Amino acid sequence: MAAERSRKRKRNQEESIARIKKGKEAKKKAARKKKRGPDDDEDDDDYDDMMDMYRKAKPLPGQLENCELCEKRFTVTPYSKAGPDGGLLCTPCGKSQTKDAKAAEKALKPVVPRKARRKLESNRLDGITTRGAKPLQQLCIEKLANHSEDIDDFGEMPEAIMNRLSEIFSKKRAMNSTTMKLFLRPDMDTVAIHEAAYLETEDFNQIIAVVPEIKKLSLRNCCQFKDGNMEYLIEKAQQLNEIQLLGANLVSNDNWINLFSARGKNLKALKLEWLDAAFNDEAVQALIEFCPNLSRLKLERCKQLGVDSIRAIARAENLEHLTLRLCKEIPRNDLVELILAVGANLQTLCLENFMDSKEEPDDDVLIAIRDTCTHLSKFRFTENHECTDAGFVNLFTNWPNYPLRYIDVNSTRDMDNANPEGPEDFPVGLADVGFRAMMAHSGSRLEYLDIASCRHIAHETFTEVFDGEKQYPQLREINLSFCPVVDTQVVAGIFRSCPQIKKVVTFGCFGVSDVVVPKGIVLIGAPKAQDAIEQFGDTIFDFQTDMMRRENGIVVPTMA
Amino acid sequence: MSSPTTTEYVTLVSYDGYEFKVLRSAACLAGTIKRSLDPSSGFREGAENRVSFTNINGVTLEKVCEYLYYNQKHAESKDVPDMEIPPELCLELLIAADYLDV
Repeated sequence: MAAERSRKRKRNQEESIARIKKGKEAKKKAARKKKRGPDDDEDDDDYDDMMDMYRKAKPLPGQLENCELCEKRFTVTPYSKAGPDGGLLCTPCGKSQTKDAKAAEKALKPVVPRKARRKLESNRLDGITTRGAKPLQQLCIEKLANHSEDIDDFGEMPEAIMNRLSEIFSKKRAMNSTTMKLFLRPDMDTVAIHEAAYLETEDFNQIIAVVPEIKKLSLRNCCQFKDGNMEYLIEKAQQLNEIQLLGANLVSNDNWINLFSARGKNLKALKLEWLDAAFNDEAVQALIEFCPNLSRLKLERCKQLGVDSIRAIARAENLEHLTLRLCKEIPRNDLVELILAVGANLQTLCLENFMDSKEEPDDDVLIAIRDTCTHLSKFRFTENHECTDAGFVNLFTNWPNYPLRYIDVNSTRDMDNANPEGPEDFPVGLADVGFRAMMAHSGSRLEYLDIASCRHIAHETFTEVFDGEKQYPQLREINLSFCPVVDTQVVAGIFRSCPQIKKVVTFGCFGVSDVVVPKGIVLIGAPKAQDAIEQFGDTIFDFQTDMMRRENGIVVPTMA
Repeated sequence: MSSPTTTEYVTLVSYDGYEFKVLRSAACLAGTIKRSLDPSSGFREGAENRVSFTNINGVTLEKVCEYLYYNQKHAESKDVPDMEIPPELCLELLIAADYLDV
């Protein structure tokens, strides 16, 4: 009785399976028909049917069959796959066959290169021109960074490439305790880790232990750099003379002072940024006292520093590069004293955000710079509304200094909500006459110019300075953002006046539209949303062909 | 010395003996190859239109050749898809790229 029931059930099952299979096939056939269109399917179907007649009948599910590929005997199921010659396959062979088929299909599909739009925009804003293929080195480095975990050793890599790799590893946040070791070689004299946030306290000791002859150490975001590391560094790294640490907030004031007294005369460069808990005026005083040979000093966003630091730095006679951005207000007199004391030797002077709300604004600082500095090549004076156009005119007119290579005077402007236009008769910050004087003084050597937010420069001045006739042969990059008068005419003038220009930034310049950008130049910040933010030049302009001719040394006869 | 004839194709040879015949225009995208083939430098490479590398193996050089053609093909196009590089080849290829100035 029971046996009969089970037999009956089995028969029912087989029937239903057969039905399902039949249904599936019919569906497939219909789909195939649709795809191929009405014309050619008749013949093919007939032919298929005919061929089917000569084929051996396939075993039904439940029966045994030899696998077509591996010859093993197996039970046929509704899911058994057909082999390449029409027979059935056992489960493992069937699986591997579908896998292969899928892989082949994937390989056949054309690889559609589709990078995220955001990534593209980011690259472009970084000024990475995307025309043409990337250099092979860059391709390799990017690939390496993606597989950072699998690398055992870089081998004898040239140091320039090592540094580039370090930069890209940092950017991709792939710099950790393991990958960091790849960059340490005992024969190096420079270690630069641009993103050290993932490194632990022991890792910093290891840097010194592996590279004891280190001369230059640069660590950014080294949050876990502690007193213990500093003590180890003082003891072991005897050759160290250039130090850059960002965010080393766990080092106490005493240990900073210990460092300065230990390195003493050997210390040549010190760059510290983003320190708030420790590092106060006393540490700066110790630095200046113990390290008379310091030639490069950069202190930015160190919260504890105030006027005593400024007074101390004024005693550093051998400074050549000075960059300061403090968080406390400094009386202008002390700043002027500082410039008068150390200005004569300076090649770099960067003063950001120095304001003194207690005194009436005037141009003392600019006057002091003019009177003492004669060797500057990089000059930054930003975020300041306590300077006037007249001050800039005075600075750049008959200044005995050589033409500057780098000028950044962004955000020198008046900010007053009640009077948004600013004082018309007495322009605050760089304005018309000052800008003309600046370009007349430095135009011949200037490579980088940032005058963002200098909003008192008139349109007429821009068109006169960049008239297409006057040439600024070295200028490569210019930032005119938030100078509201800048329009298409000004930008076109820049293209013609600056043969070397590579990058023009015009955020917030609403007059700039429909610019035809010459080949090889990138214009960033087109204000309309539907435009791409940056525009790459395609057109070769007549003045560019002239230039190319000159470069190729072909003399083209022209009408006299 | 007779003036070297410039051929359309040049031969690049790896240290393990593999030879690659490459379009001159593509090969010259690599600064080092360009300079060694330049007739005005008067090197033997220029006369023979053949450059041997004692520090690059066949597998790497093949990839370099692939890159040279890839670069030539995409010289004028925008947003070029990156060329596939097998990770295990990366380090050697990087050193070769540095040497070849490409």
